[in-house]
Amino acid sequence: MIIIKRLYPYKDLLFVSIWREFGVRYRNSVLGILWAIVQPLSLMILFTFIFTYVMKVKTGGYPKPVFFYSALLPWIFFSSALNTAISSLSGSQGLITKIYFPREVLPISGVCVAFIDLLIASSFYIVLLLYYNIDLNLTIIWIIPIFILLFLYTLSVSLIFSSLNVYYKDVSLLTGFLLRLLFFGSPILYSIDSLSIKLKLILFLNPLTFIIENTRRVILEGRSVVIWQFLLATVLVLILFHFAYKLFIKIERNFADVI
Amino acid sequence: MSSEPVIKLSNISKKYILKGYKSRTLREDIESIFSRKYKPDLSKNEFWALKDINISINKSESVGLYGPNGSGKTTIIKLISGVTLPTLGEITINGTIAPLISVGAGFHPELTGRENIYTNGTILGMSIKYLKSVEDDIINFSGLDKKFINMPVKQYSSGMNARLGFSVAVHSNADIFLLDEIISVGDEEFKNKCTEKVKSLMNMNKTFLIVTHNHELLKTMTNRIIYIKNGSIEDNL
Repeated sequence: MIIIKRLYPYKDLLFVSIWREFGVRYRNSVLGILWAIVQPLSLMILFTFIFTYVMKVKTGGYPKPVFFYSALLPWIFFSSALNTAISSLSGSQGLITKIYFPREVLPISGVCVAFIDLLIASSFYIVLLLYYNIDLNLTIIWIIPIFILLFLYTLSVSLIFSSLNVYYKDVSLLTGFLLRLLFFGSPILYSIDSLSIKLKLILFLNPLTFIIENTRRVILEGRSVVIWQFLLATVLVLILFHFAYKLFIKIERNFADVI
Repeated sequence: MSSEPVIKLSNISKKYILKGYKSRTLREDIESIFSRKYKPDLSKNEFWALKDINISINKSESVGLYGPNGSGKTTIIKLISGVTLPTLGEITINGTIAPLISVGAGFHPELTGRENIYTNGTILGMSIKYLKSVEDDIINFSGLDKKFINMPVKQYSSGMNARLGFSVAVHSNADIFLLDEIISVGDEEFKNKCTEKVKSLMNMNKTFLIVTHNHELLKTMTNRIIYIKNGSIEDNL
């Protein structure tokens, strides 16, 4: 794999950049890493309030807090990783024009830092599951491959968007807008269960639909992921990653000249 | 001492696009991603920063680059360090490079001096293990008081910043050192210390390429000086 060939000699740089980004993010803040929980928690409370008192919506028989939190975990990871990654290259002009290192180190660190946040926020998820007495069984292990798939998908999108943002500043403007659309295009506030097959297929064009639906499935419903669906999703994400990385390497060589 | 060149630039030309122009359309950009075709002629908003440069530097040589501002010295350094790629020609490098182009590149203002040794050092290609082994040397060489090293560098003076940055850079274990205008950091005393350090590295068979506007310094520190003007080599002494 080309990524290993390129990054292995720079593994220490990658490690230090992740550590640096993570350390800097919460340094001098009172709440520290608790901030990783504050965002999904506050949105979860807001949604629970709205959909309990303002608009009465059924959430498949599950307590609303766990229903929303299950979806907010992958969603917040995706959106914050993408936001961090997009500015990672264009914000490092000083480095990029002066020293060579594989440029993907910067967006990858951004995604990794968001992933650490995801793991921290997941700890609170366990508290919620215990509090609401959700019956957990072994299918919970599926969350590991699901999160790996989520990581890979997010990384692919981040590589494409961050590198294009060096050339066109429109990308960062577009992203804010795209993320807002995608928020409603992903099954965060709703579940796709009751939708027609046609609508389901359209929503599944967004890989986050697969990830969010299956996060609920393996944890709340205690059912396994359908193997062929998971394999198909994995293959598609791997193909996306392959092309995203290829594009990145292709245009990386001109970063210093155009940034 | 081997006579194999460690840095070899053959017929290097580098074309730049003048900033400020919207030079190409999105469609052309997308096309150029998928094709490798090369147009030798200049468009109206392009210029040659370097034209047909040939440089060969042998192991443990110390070479100076001298020329007026905008003559292409820094572009040569950037090409050798791989930051940018030549439009035409070929570059061969044998060995690892420490590009001491700007001291303290990658320093994060919120991190302490000690932490920045690691962020800056790994950017320059050093491993964490190696940095641990030279951490004390780096701090000693920088001359920073022990009480400052655990302070965030945003509280450092620009001189302290430069000293720490330079100190990290010269402790690199690379074979080739590229120095672009960085010997002149710090006060007189530190400058002399830097010159001494560079000289001692030269005695360790390291290869040096030095850019500075201080001609006297170049004369004392290098074996030969390449004179550059308007993107071409004028003289190679």
